[in-house]
Amino acid sequence: MTTPQPDLITMQFMGKNYQVPSGLTIMAAIEYAGYKLVRGSGCRAGFCGACPTIYHKGESHKLYTALACQTLVEDQMCLVQVPFVPVARKRYVMDALQPTPNIILQYYPEIAGCVACNTCTRACPQGIQVMDYIQAALRGDIQRTAELSFDCISCGICSSRCPSDIKHYPVGQLARRIYGKYILPRSQHLADRVSELAAGAYQDEMTTLMHLSLEDLKVRYEQRVFEPVVGQNDEHNAVRQWGSPVDPVDFQDDPQAILSTGA
Amino acid sequence: MHIDYYPGCTIKTSARQYETSALAVLHALDVQSREMEQWNCCGVVHSLATDNLIRHVAPIRVLTRLQQQGGTELVTLCDMCYNTLAQANLLVQRQPDKGEAINGFIADDQTYGGQVDVLHLLQILRDRIGFQAIKRRVICPLKGLTVFPYYGCKLLRPRAVGIDDAETPSILRDLMQALGATVVDDPIQTCCCGSYHVVNRDAIVAGQVTKIAARAQLQGADIIVLSCPLCHFNLDTHQPRPTDGGQRLPVLYYTQLIGLAFGLPWETLGLDAHHIDPFPLLQHQHSVPLEGERV
Amino acid sequence: MELINGYPAYMRESIVKVEQTRPARLYATFPAMSLDERKVLLTHFHPDFKEDQKRPLAFGPSQGMFINHELADLLEARPLIPSHLDVSRVDYEVDVLIIGGGGAGTVAALWSVEAGIDPQRILIATKLRHGDSNSTMAQGGIQAADRPTDSPVMHYLDAMGGGHFTNRPELVQALVMDAPGIIQWHESLGVMYDKDAEGNFVVHPGGGTSRNRMHSARDYTGLEIMRVIRDEARNRAIPVIEFAPAIELLMDDHSHVAGAVLLNLETRRYRIVKAHATILATGGLGRLHMQQYPTTNHYGATADGLVLAYRVGAHLTDLDAIQYHPTGAAFPAQMAGLLITEKVRGLGAQPVNRNGDMFVFPLEPRDVEASAFIRECYERELGITTPLGMRGIWLDAPMVDILHGPGTIQTALPAMFRMYQRFGIDMTRDPILVFPTLHYQNGGIVADAHGATTVPGLFVAGEVMGGIHGKNRLMGNSLLDFNVFGKRAGIAAAAYARQTTPGNLTLAHIDAYEQMLRAAGVDRDRTAPRLLPDYRGREALERYLDIPL
Repeated sequence: MTTPQPDLITMQFMGKNYQVPSGLTIMAAIEYAGYKLVRGSGCRAGFCGACPTIYHKGESHKLYTALACQTLVEDQMCLVQVPFVPVARKRYVMDALQPTPNIILQYYPEIAGCVACNTCTRACPQGIQVMDYIQAALRGDIQRTAELSFDCISCGICSSRCPSDIKHYPVGQLARRIYGKYILPRSQHLADRVSELAAGAYQDEMTTLMHLSLEDLKVRYEQRVFEPVVGQNDEHNAVRQWGSPVDPVDFQDDPQAILSTGA
Repeated sequence: MHIDYYPGCTIKTSARQYETSALAVLHALDVQSREMEQWNCCGVVHSLATDNLIRHVAPIRVLTRLQQQGGTELVTLCDMCYNTLAQANLLVQRQPDKGEAINGFIADDQTYGGQVDVLHLLQILRDRIGFQAIKRRVICPLKGLTVFPYYGCKLLRPRAVGIDDAETPSILRDLMQALGATVVDDPIQTCCCGSYHVVNRDAIVAGQVTKIAARAQLQGADIIVLSCPLCHFNLDTHQPRPTDGGQRLPVLYYTQLIGLAFGLPWETLGLDAHHIDPFPLLQHQHSVPLEGERV
Repeated sequence: MELINGYPAYMRESIVKVEQTRPARLYATFPAMSLDERKVLLTHFHPDFKEDQKRPLAFGPSQGMFINHELADLLEARPLIPSHLDVSRVDYEVDVLIIGGGGAGTVAALWSVEAGIDPQRILIATKLRHGDSNSTMAQGGIQAADRPTDSPVMHYLDAMGGGHFTNRPELVQALVMDAPGIIQWHESLGVMYDKDAEGNFVVHPGGGTSRNRMHSARDYTGLEIMRVIRDEARNRAIPVIEFAPAIELLMDDHSHVAGAVLLNLETRRYRIVKAHATILATGGLGRLHMQQYPTTNHYGATADGLVLAYRVGAHLTDLDAIQYHPTGAAFPAQMAGLLITEKVRGLGAQPVNRNGDMFVFPLEPRDVEASAFIRECYERELGITTPLGMRGIWLDAPMVDILHGPGTIQTALPAMFRMYQRFGIDMTRDPILVFPTLHYQNGGIVADAHGATTVPGLFVAGEVMGGIHGKNRLMGNSLLDFNVFGKRAGIAAAAYARQTTPGNLTLAHIDAYEQMLRAAGVDRDRTAPRLLPDYRGREALERYLDIPL
């Protein structure tokens, strides 16, 4: 099978034309053109919001926003990177906050200026319904704000385009922290375990374990019984095949012992 | 019967009793209601007070989304939301060039041309269900209660969106009479409560509310009924104690009184969510039975 | 190039073959390898076994450690600055300097504050932005033994076995015993862990773990933790200086580490930070692209901390064991190197070559599996080459929904499904292309259970620290690692800072290092730390002129 060569296309970066192969991300195309990125490159996988990009295509007047690492370069794309959006976030002390419905409005009163124009939603590279989470924050529905905004990577494109200068992602961040701290119930068994540990539980067992010989430790290791996983009896289940729910450990484990419990 | 309804921000935060009582009453009247999905703040003051076209995007977006959800009629509870949505709707219907600009800005798949009708719950009760039908459902008439209907502004003005005569409205009187209450009127019932001045110039609101409550007292009312959450907030929180040592007038939503007259469970009516406690009056007059009793 | 449902035409031709062989493959298996077969495969194809790809470290405390050339080249390299650089004018004087603004660095800063250090006496210096790190990208979850049916003892066993029993026991002890407390701390900060209506964590199984103790926040566990701790660091007004990597550590005349030289990446101005205590939290080394493997790591993962620490005499461990993950995405370009969780194979998807034929048991141990894929692509030449020249084999994802029912992929792997969908690929209908990817630095700088290295004044935390995971890290233990040791290092550094005052700053250790380089006969043109990888197009580089502006 021969691999066809990618075609060359024209990209305009900061007003200059460059010939780059098609099939590259915008970020890779910028680098191909000779730029070594200092700003504008982070995780390179769509998680961190370091690479917001604004562009238009050819003759069309419409302005688009995207992440450079997650978008393929297209012919006649004319683009610029915006690695930083100045956003004024407020400081707060989580322990001192009262999680009332109006708390978010208190810290970010500008959200009352939302005109529901949806520019933020259109700008978001994560497909989040940004306007809807701001509206939820406006009416004090913290849970909805937290859930709708969860996929936010804080790239700031929304805030850069908002006609009311709303600071969307700090609003979402505050809502999520309030939700996680005050609205989601605390785990009782976690609290119990922390108390147990503080009172000295497991210390002796651990000390014994840490002083076992290598052979004895290996025996203990092989004696582990795996907790059942949903779908345990499924033919293709990893536990049946390999004695491990998902990902077997590397070869230096003695495989004979594990194989003998498998199918 | 089925209605799509629009709550608005205040209903969900500081006027929850209006929503719970309204939903309970609608249920008792066999009306199925559905809160529309993905609604946003209607913008109220921003939308009404400025000429800036972008300020009308918020209410138009509500109507556009309802249209996308297949709805043709939207019922509101809050007077302010009603007025905002209705006026924005008129803008699109009567000034198509502005409508086009708004549609171009929203740039959704569907354009909005004013096809949705905006209604207030009172209109549904009066025109679709009818006060006679409501009267037939009353099991504990509000005997012994003298009610002062207060309209404020947004339900009646401007005339293009008003649901009743702006000078001499009768809708609340007719409704209260159907519930068996005694009704007293006064011209001050269509005078503004002071509205959003309560935010930073509440002396104005205090002045208005004092006058309104005084006139209502003079006419012999022992309770004020209304439909607007902002009027409610102003009248409930800024009423002065009468100088002659009498009681302040409790302020209730019309849906709560309908609920009482229907004998609905008191938890659904939110009667404990008021600043001026209505319980002493309601129990003292004994015109309404204590929970569990039957007439 | 035209794409048909996300794939170019020539790749579609191969997909047709995969579809043709699928019915026969559905309930078939490929035989697992014997121990001997595995050994042969690994020796010939696994990147860690390629003798010619590694060499013994030429000098220093860890002389003789067999490491990849790419890393050895950086450790056996000259500093970026001369030893006579003027360090007398101090730009920042702090109690705790934290080098690295990822998970470990941020946790350390927060706990230094808890331990009583005034935030204004802390400085986080980070090469990119605060939060840019591998921490942000972790999806799977974080381990902690907090349920009644689980215990830190079981967690200890899992981690030790996973690390081939080469882990340092006291570090694993710290890891597993501190874990529940870390999760509780996260609760109080407001991290949105997945919970049921009663507040119980929704937990998942993890590779090699005997209890289902992976806590998650949807598919964004690392991102969620990172953004909450970063938000809290902002609330505490802990100073952060971005785009200012440390290019050399400073010592004082008592041979304590006493701060660092920072470089403003944009203005090239250097700054001198004098610090009572210094914490290295510089993360991993994926962007060194050992043997040209793609990586799951973020842009800044270039082993800077290892270089800095080695220069001041710290010890390194287990750097001969880099964790390669068998299934990194090989297509499309936007996902190159990104981790495809082993869950996909666990649910039944088979790896097949370009003819649609199976060539390996789907659940061999990770490094055996990776080696098989490499052999299929490079020796047997039965892989598929992407338009940009990457090779890979198919992972037949549609098998999952066929075996378990429609909707399985969307429920079990929502983030992955969404990601592929974003690029026009429906993984319930089409196979996905994978190839091994460089994932994690199992080893690192030697330190005790409080993050204190053998060099006074120098602490470490996070991926750059060694000894916790031995030769192989279990999934879910790295998010835990940065929290546990970030906290411990932050507290220990705070205590040290209160007890010690740095003496006169010096770069004399640079001279000593250069002497070792000379004595070892090392090529003296190389410099380190690398700071950033270079992805400039070959054509552009060929015409590059290094003219001062």
